[in-house]
Amino acid sequence: MIWLSWRQFRVQALAGAVALVLAAAYLVYLGGDIRDAHDVYRSKCGGRADCAEPRAQFRSAYESTLLFLAAGLGLVPAVLGTFWGAPLVARELEAGTHRMVWNQSVTRGRWLLVKLLVVGAAAMVVTGTAAALLTWAAAPFDEVVENRFGTFEFGARNVAPVGYAALAFTFGAVAGLVLRRTLPAMAVTLAGFLVFQFLFPNLVRPGLMPPERTTLPMTAQAINQARSLGSIGGGAVVGGVRIPDEPDAWISDLSPLRTADGRNLGERRFNACLDSPPRTGATGTFGDTAVCLGKLRLHVAVAYHPADRYWAFQWAETAVYLALSGLLAAFGLWRVRRRVT
Amino acid sequence: MPNTTSPPVLHAEGLTKRYGRRTALSDVSLSVPPGRIIGLVGPNGAGKSTLLHLACGLVEPTSGSLAVLGSRPAADAAHLARVGFVAQDTPVYGSFTVAEHLRLGARLNPAWDQGLAERRIAQVGLNPDQKAGRLSGGQRAQLALTIAAAKRPELLIFDEPAAALDPLARSGFLRNLMEFVTELGASAVLSSHLLDDIERVCDHLIVLSGSRVQVAGDVRDLLATHHRVTAPPGELERLPPGVETVRVEHHGRASVAVVRGDAGRPPLPRPAEPVSLEELVLSYMTRAAGEGRR
Repeated sequence: MIWLSWRQFRVQALAGAVALVLAAAYLVYLGGDIRDAHDVYRSKCGGRADCAEPRAQFRSAYESTLLFLAAGLGLVPAVLGTFWGAPLVARELEAGTHRMVWNQSVTRGRWLLVKLLVVGAAAMVVTGTAAALLTWAAAPFDEVVENRFGTFEFGARNVAPVGYAALAFTFGAVAGLVLRRTLPAMAVTLAGFLVFQFLFPNLVRPGLMPPERTTLPMTAQAINQARSLGSIGGGAVVGGVRIPDEPDAWISDLSPLRTADGRNLGERRFNACLDSPPRTGATGTFGDTAVCLGKLRLHVAVAYHPADRYWAFQWAETAVYLALSGLLAAFGLWRVRRRVT
Repeated sequence: MPNTTSPPVLHAEGLTKRYGRRTALSDVSLSVPPGRIIGLVGPNGAGKSTLLHLACGLVEPTSGSLAVLGSRPAADAAHLARVGFVAQDTPVYGSFTVAEHLRLGARLNPAWDQGLAERRIAQVGLNPDQKAGRLSGGQRAQLALTIAAAKRPELLIFDEPAAALDPLARSGFLRNLMEFVTELGASAVLSSHLLDDIERVCDHLIVLSGSRVQVAGDVRDLLATHHRVTAPPGELERLPPGVETVRVEHHGRASVAVVRGDAGRPPLPRPAEPVSLEELVLSYMTRAAGEGRR
């Protein structure tokens, strides 16, 4: 069975291997480049108190490239699920060859299990290798920028992509088994998995562990360190807040601006500060508005995960994806044994 | 080897298969003793493929039961090894060579007989390095037959294997099939809508029409118990008890009937002539078609 699985898979495996070698060559080149740039950044920084400018320079040089690569790596499991997973069973059903191979002295359950393991392992190895290379290449950048919980960054580093590959591949294979047609199965796999990959980081990931909670006083100084101010749906919100004691923590939930009595800041009072704050000649990102808001003794409630939970999150997310893959595989094995035609 | 103690090759009780609203097989009960070459005949859409797919476990029955060689079809790997199946259109992997198909058979079947497979491939003139996707229909059928037979099954099942072949290829295929069955000492089930093929190779017949079994039995017995009787119209409506009219045709002043009854007893009013297998099968199919219309 292992020989058969490999024999039927070898053309796709070759295509995957070629793509992986090309990607690896580029990532090794990029990794060297980033290391050179990192050395330059460190030498510029050496002995100077204010590193902000060289840091911003280093960051902007690679930020979009790495974001693009992270998005690309995010597509790898979806593509493998589409081109390796979906045709795995559907192609046999479409060509009718299942009527030949299912009548050899191997049960259908074992046939599917071995195929899932062989090709699934290949999908995980390809994705895992690409993720490891990207993790290595981006390591100096990640160390400087400290955005490891970013939606794209988290899913494109270390072990989590291996879990994504397992799920995408199993999903594709089972979709092919249920739909019995290759093209519809490929379409469903691609669309379904990408939607899942969009929903999971937003809806499920923050709840994988109970978050820590705290309130942050929004003094004029704190507001000036934020990235944005605005009002959405009646609540006044502040964006890009960092926790002073734990700047690298992942803020998973942030309340609107609240007054001392715990109510949300009214829109009128917020707009008054935004549109016509008393002139004080204050500097800073938000100027007079920050001073005006600071006088209101505001705070925000924050749910966050300390930075040292990073690996716990990586493993938890991988485990969730592997468990879902296992459930899907179990369903597929039940289905291929019980209900086929 | 077939003997009296081995279980029936096929044993069905109330076997029914429905696809949605369409009934493919309705309340089929039959028992086929081992050691036979069984012909399964019937018009297209009669349920032949459904019955054979049930027999090799590709399909589950809606109700009723079917035992193949005494067990549930495709019950486990050991049972799969005992049944060889050649599907309609003889599917093979187009990107595999002939030799790779034999390797597939060897890897997937513990009782695989590589010598038998290689000998047969050479005999029918297949090049081992040829891709299966480039074989002709007849060559592909020979390859599928070799894969099914070299696992040395006790029962070989063929679903319309020769339907798409030209007469020469069909003849070669059937000859090869018979040689395999003899060499393996296996039973075989062969479905076809071509009566010629069935007549050539089968010693047991199942007529399937309108999703029901119309008649089943050893060919010799069937021929011994069915007769053609010619009589004036009206007389054939008063046949002695124990004699069943399968079909009557009226030709002006005479009616011709195919009747079933134990040979010569009870006596028929008119001399009974022997029927050909074709006439017998057509009589049952015509009757079933008439019932279907009613």
